Amino acid sequence: MTTVRIWFEKRGEAAYISLLDLQRVMHRALKRSGLPVWYTLGFNPHIYLTFACPLSLGQESLCESCDVKTEAEPLDLSGWQDALSACLPRGLVVKRVAPVGDKAAAIAYSSYAVTMPATAAPLLEAYNAAESAPVTKKTKSGPKTLDLKAHLPKIEYRQEEDTLYLLLCLPAGDGLNLNPALLLEHLKTYGELPIWQCSILRTGLYKADKTEFC
Amino acid sequence: MSDFSAQFKQALSLVQKPGRYTGGEPGCIFKDKSKVDIRFAFCFPDTYEIGMSFLGEKILYELLNQHENWWCERAFMPWVDMKAEMERLSIPLYCLESKDPLRDFDIIGFTLEYELCYTNILAMLELSGIPLRAADRGEDWPLIIAGGPCVCNAEPMADFFDVMQLGEGEQMLQDICAEVEKAKKTGLTRLELLQNLAQIPGVYVPAFYDVHYLPDGRIEAITPNRPGVPATVTKAIVKDLDAFAPPKSFVVPMVGAIHDRASVEVLRGCVRGCRFCQAGQLYRPFRERSPELISEAARALCHNTGYDELSLTSLSTSDHSQLESILDKLNAWATCDHVSLSLPSLRVDNFSESLLQKTTQVRKSGLTFAAEAGTQRLRDVINKNVSWEQIERTCTIAFREGYTAVKLYFMMGLPTETMEDIKGIADTAQQVVDLFYSNPDRPKGKGVQVTASVACFVPKPDTPFQFCPQDRREALKEKQRYLLSCVRSRKIRINYHDSATSVLEGVFAKGDRRLGNVIEKAYHNGAFFDTWEEFFNYDRWMEAFAACGIDPDFYNYREIALNEITPWSHLDVGVSHAHLVREYQKALKAEVSPPCNRQCSGCGANKLLGGPCFDYGKDLV
Repeated sequence: MTTVRIWFEKRGEAAYISLLDLQRVMHRALKRSGLPVWYTLGFNPHIYLTFACPLSLGQESLCESCDVKTEAEPLDLSGWQDALSACLPRGLVVKRVAPVGDKAAAIAYSSYAVTMPATAAPLLEAYNAAESAPVTKKTKSGPKTLDLKAHLPKIEYRQEEDTLYLLLCLPAGDGLNLNPALLLEHLKTYGELPIWQCSILRTGLYKADKTEFC
Repeated sequence: MSDFSAQFKQALSLVQKPGRYTGGEPGCIFKDKSKVDIRFAFCFPDTYEIGMSFLGEKILYELLNQHENWWCERAFMPWVDMKAEMERLSIPLYCLESKDPLRDFDIIGFTLEYELCYTNILAMLELSGIPLRAADRGEDWPLIIAGGPCVCNAEPMADFFDVMQLGEGEQMLQDICAEVEKAKKTGLTRLELLQNLAQIPGVYVPAFYDVHYLPDGRIEAITPNRPGVPATVTKAIVKDLDAFAPPKSFVVPMVGAIHDRASVEVLRGCVRGCRFCQAGQLYRPFRERSPELISEAARALCHNTGYDELSLTSLSTSDHSQLESILDKLNAWATCDHVSLSLPSLRVDNFSESLLQKTTQVRKSGLTFAAEAGTQRLRDVINKNVSWEQIERTCTIAFREGYTAVKLYFMMGLPTETMEDIKGIADTAQQVVDLFYSNPDRPKGKGVQVTASVACFVPKPDTPFQFCPQDRREALKEKQRYLLSCVRSRKIRINYHDSATSVLEGVFAKGDRRLGNVIEKAYHNGAFFDTWEEFFNYDRWMEAFAACGIDPDFYNYREIALNEITPWSHLDVGVSHAHLVREYQKALKAEVSPPCNRQCSGCGANKLLGGPCFDYGKDLV
């Protein structure tokens, strides 16, 4: 049995598909595609399906992944990308299908491309000048306060017309996972920032040594 | 998200489950709007999760979209948080596919599934910026039409709709769209269009009828107010169900719907003739689909949607004369396609061991029986032809097969009901508990759970009980208290609801046009989502009645004389008045009528078919 990793984009309307819903959507798409995926054994067989490092609702991504298993031999993944894409809703597009590389637990960082209105420039300057940036993160064991500056000392950005473009790299994965939404919330302490005028796009996932997760 | 406006994105960022408002689900249909002639907005006046569970919409969505130059899209009632954001940000109600506002459409169709969603319809029109009353809409507004079971008497909504469809929509709705397309192309006025539409079987144009009242408030006459309009509108039906294949694809919701599974309608109508049941009368005559078509459509549907659960739906699936053949055909592919079967609406009386095994081959769920009344006498009154012996036999089989949860449905407030009948509900539940423990083959190491859900009976139009007054709230509350006092076992759970919503349901079910003012008043005073207990406000409704000078008791607490002209007397669903009277009189004497596949009771619905409903020469069931 081989574990196969499906890499897909999650953009546009599909950004509003929650993880729970995404599992159902992917399950049905795989079923429709007729690809030889492995079903769990038991009274209610279902497709074995796991998602690495799921995204927050409303954020987009170029690099989501989900793992399935297959007993097909020899393993021919050439048709998988098109077959599955054809069964997915608008906004979910399969980019690559390959035998699994790293374990999902190896994910340590994620990069994001963030846009915000140009009016937010003073807020970013205020963040860069601040000594510390305490944020409160909800965890399973209750709210936890941490200093964003420890993970993101300085924010680089460029402006094009009335939009600011930021590239962020934040801890991600099973250990510490910092949602870029935390930064946006924190910036609001320096001044007004309409969150709906911002967008968050995940662009990459990386291991502890900053090489790409694959 | 470049294709979403900033306001829309802002609203989505502030509401629960934004996926309900974004569309783009697998199976949803996109067309180039510059290339379509008719744009149809199919509106469901309740939440996305409820609307997406509704099979009727899926049937008509597929049928309309098969026309290349028509585009049928969907809209639902936004939940309170989204409604507030849309109002605050001036986002008009839009269809999920194109995101275009409803007022850009040619036809806006609402499903009238239950009476308490009427205020939601007004809310959806107002969110679209469309005048509520048909009389206030000029030439350029979309045609606002209604369909669904409540059209059998949607007189309380008559002032708001241009057109209502009585009966089944498969053909009728396509005929309406074709007529609208023709009118657009030839530049007909709205009035000319309505006059043409009134010629289509089943189409009812409320403005073409005048209602005359007697001094005491009852109706004197309902008459057409222009030539060429039928005095009585007769329900449209699909004579041959096999002529319309069930949908082979659904829009598959991503945010979980209530009924999130493939479903295929196996038959329409019901042979039982339960006297309380409106659907049993409205969907007559009984028609079946062939096992081949059912199996073929079901397999295509599961394949096209990716659903792994298939349900066979109808008012009474086990009354299909070839049910075992259907199940054999389905079971031939279901397991290897990873699809499990579920069969809602099984009957206690023809529930066989082999049937049970065929449905539990894949998955075991709870058992549900509609006993409806607690004593045999009252079951005879309502013509629910179920006996304790049948319940006993079925439960015995079920317990042996490993079932441990039984759900029983009852009603209270039925005509001729006494406290003895209420006690009978608790006694029946107790007998099921006792049956479990006396069964040597029961699942070992497990207890039984019997749930009795007790609904408040609401007399409905076109049923033999339409003449009956509804039980008053105080009486129902007392019956509920008494029922609880009769329960002795912790294995029995009793579910019941507050009867306040049933009162409104009763008033609107049997109401007339004068109630339009009340609905509008209540809506302007903040009533919507009345089907949701947390938003339903009984006092607000009573204030609206008072403000309009209308006594609600006149509609639901008054006995209707057998010769009285009802608000729905010009709407013919196929069942004759004489039949209703006959059945009502038998009910009062606790006399039963046989199911209509055994012996015809002469209800008149066979006229819709143009011949007998059954071949009585054959040995049926």
